[in-house]
Amino acid sequence: MYIHVNFWGNEFKVNVIVGCIGAFLIAVVSSMFGFGGGPFMVPLMAVVLGLPMYLVVGSSLLAIFFSTAMSSARHYGFGNFDLDLFLVMFPAALLAGWIAPKIAKRINPLWVKRIAVIGLTLLGLSLLGLF
Amino acid sequence: MSFKLHAALAALAASLLLGYPVAHATTPEAAPADAPPPPAVPVFTVDKTSLSNGGVITVTGKTAPGKTVYIEVFNENPVTGSFFDSRPNKETGKIPYKLYMASEIPAYYRIHVPKETQPILDDFKKEGKGWSYSGALSNTGGEVVYREPGKHPITAYQASLQASIVGSRGEVLPTLDDKERVRRSMQIVKARFRTVDKLLAANIDQKEDGSFTAQIKIPEGSAPGKYTIIAATSKKAVSEPLVVENKIALPMIYMDNAGTSLNVFVPFFLVLALATFGVLMGAGGGFIINPVMLMMFPIPHNVVAGTVTPTVLFSQASGVVNYSKIKFISWKVGVTLGIAMLAGAFIGPVLTTMVTVDEFKFVFGWILFVLAALMFWQTTPGYLAKNKKEQAILKEFQKRAEEASAAKAARA
Repeated sequence: MYIHVNFWGNEFKVNVIVGCIGAFLIAVVSSMFGFGGGPFMVPLMAVVLGLPMYLVVGSSLLAIFFSTAMSSARHYGFGNFDLDLFLVMFPAALLAGWIAPKIAKRINPLWVKRIAVIGLTLLGLSLLGLF
Repeated sequence: MSFKLHAALAALAASLLLGYPVAHATTPEAAPADAPPPPAVPVFTVDKTSLSNGGVITVTGKTAPGKTVYIEVFNENPVTGSFFDSRPNKETGKIPYKLYMASEIPAYYRIHVPKETQPILDDFKKEGKGWSYSGALSNTGGEVVYREPGKHPITAYQASLQASIVGSRGEVLPTLDDKERVRRSMQIVKARFRTVDKLLAANIDQKEDGSFTAQIKIPEGSAPGKYTIIAATSKKAVSEPLVVENKIALPMIYMDNAGTSLNVFVPFFLVLALATFGVLMGAGGGFIINPVMLMMFPIPHNVVAGTVTPTVLFSQASGVVNYSKIKFISWKVGVTLGIAMLAGAFIGPVLTTMVTVDEFKFVFGWILFVLAALMFWQTTPGYLAKNKKEQAILKEFQKRAEEASAAKAARA
């Protein structure tokens, strides 16, 4: 089973079975250990599924959106939500989602990938308890 | 709260009469020094009556010789706390899945115990996340002054594991009795404040004659308003409360449920920078905003996660919309993998109840390093030389960049 994706005139074949098993495992593991699975989706799409980085950033955001919505609902139900703090941060979040694509468009896809490498390294350090 | 007023008036009267620059809790010591009987309850003074965004309060007092004194400090602002009981019952092995919620937990709560009990606290610290607050209170003796959180109502719910994943609390259970309420309140307080250091401080210095001093440090960013200080040597021998007011000024704002005051510009710019980084790399940014916020502000872990997660939801949504405008998205791949992730997110918590895995977290750190290295390798010339599609995309990028700058130059 493959999904065919076209990007800037290049055809990419995405193995859906491998992708779904990977996404499923990432979600299982991240909910067991209590860390966000988002950053794991990026290398899954870029390295395992072989998608170009420009497509990875948007598609990975879309994929993790669903589980972020679910865990937001859980936190809300358990009384962990602070409205004031949210109101301070939420305009910044909307703005960030507007600025980042503008930056991505202007910089070389290799640099987008290297930025993601920095992000993964930071999360790796935090999982090792070093950050 | 008339007793607080009375205490304040008594303190004022004492300082006027005796010229003391401090507030007094009670005034039995004002009697002549003809060997008065030791007071049955601890008596103490504080060196200041107001703080400005935190500070250190020095408590000096006296109690009967041979009695150990403990101090409770709490803030007047209520916050919500919850504890989800998913630990199997020791005898039956059945998991209760009960949710306990309290909406009147003090925004700041700390018990001070004698400095000699520091080794006990160190032992509890070594236990890591699963340390027992009730155990620490009873081993240090601090439980005699554990009063405030146990006074307020707690609602118990019969939840189910699957429903709890999406935040459903389940059905309300009958009201808890007094003993059960105090026990559960300790679990809620611990779930909220989390660490030994936040909840307990072994720094009461008590002499053999019963006199004692302690430094009460209210950290920067703590809740504003009244901090009540109570000293006790037993559940019955409890001092009069003393109140110290903590003041904050703009742009510090008190966050109701976080129980913390902070400069509102800091989280705004923090999220702006880190979420931009997160969205640029294809995640929301929560993985980095969470630890940074925890480092910078004394906000409880649960509240940080519970507020950053919905914030990141919006950075992701906004990112999806704006990436889709420049066609940096495959809806098919995103939705398919997203559904697979949702399924996994329901299975994970079920597995957590069967195996404890926390100590293997570091493994995923190493996996990430490997993945990061692989991704970095994808940006090296050796890899690119072999990958025709990447070359084509890079060429296209350069073409578009040149066109854009040419168009800019033409306009200028």
